[in-house]
Amino acid sequence: MNSQVQPKIFIAIPAFNEGKIIGKVVKEIQKAGYENIVIVDDGSNDKTQQKAKEAGAIALKHKINRGKGAATKTSIEAAKLLGADIIVTMDGDGQHDPTDIEKLINPIIKEGIDVVLGSRLQNPQGMPWYKIIHNKIGNFITWWLYGLLVTDSQSGMRAYSIEAAEKINTRADRYEYDSEVIREIYIYKLKYQEVPIQVRYTEYSMGKAHKQSFINGIKTVYRMIWNMIS
Amino acid sequence: MELHLYQIVVAAIATIMIYQGLANFIKGKQSQTLLKLFTRILVWGSMATIAVFPKITNVIAKTIGIEGNINAVILTGFILIFLMIFKLLSAIERLEQQITEVTREKALENLENETK
Repeated sequence: MNSQVQPKIFIAIPAFNEGKIIGKVVKEIQKAGYENIVIVDDGSNDKTQQKAKEAGAIALKHKINRGKGAATKTSIEAAKLLGADIIVTMDGDGQHDPTDIEKLINPIIKEGIDVVLGSRLQNPQGMPWYKIIHNKIGNFITWWLYGLLVTDSQSGMRAYSIEAAEKINTRADRYEYDSEVIREIYIYKLKYQEVPIQVRYTEYSMGKAHKQSFINGIKTVYRMIWNMIS
Repeated sequence: MELHLYQIVVAAIATIMIYQGLANFIKGKQSQTLLKLFTRILVWGSMATIAVFPKITNVIAKTIGIEGNINAVILTGFILIFLMIFKLLSAIERLEQQITEVTREKALENLENETK
């Protein structure tokens, strides 16, 4: 990447029923200095798309719910079409701190890294113990199935150079998407780096039932194994 | 060595499944990785091996403690059901992905309007 030219950075966010908070998330990102924000409303029943648009984001909508992985991929595709040089993915529930974006994009701009993975486990302060165990199991299974051991295989906060975003080709629709990206890094031998990120576990984000519960974890592992043999 | 019909059928199905995996891999289809191919060969190869050389299962049978001719019937039924479920799940997975693609295309169609 040409370091003389200011790269065009896009923030890509999948969101499902985040109408209560998505406006605040967009405003926080804008306050951190990033104007290009793509929100993909993944078939929400509330006003997620409308709230995101009102806050100043480019808001697209899946007509039906297809899962976090599918919505993330759509948001990345949109950013690519809009001419992004670097794409940063974040969750739509406000758990990620936009001030961490800089930490994610710097290795791409300054060191020519392809993918930067935000790692909650390199900075686990405030992270519930069961989430730490859940993530460590996820890391082990990802390593076992896909061959690459990272400290946080389930993190949604990541940054991709446009070259990496063009190469990475996932087909997982749900939470196994995060692990599939790790597989793609391994297959294409992409240069990656992990940086510690802060996660804000709020009452709102912890209250979302569909998030990575134990049952969802089992389903994710099942789908990962199924994708291996089908 | 005398082969029964079910042994030939299972071996033939396993051969087709392994052949499909190998063909996809040789054609360079992105969804068929080496690890996936290896897993496919392992799963279907094991089924074919057990079908053609059922005596291999004696060790397992002794360990579990189930013996008798009825095993052949149960095994055949199990394999057929396994095959049906495998094909059904594969079809569902394929449909799910097609639905996602259509949904994505529809969402991206609106991108131009959004950026105006």
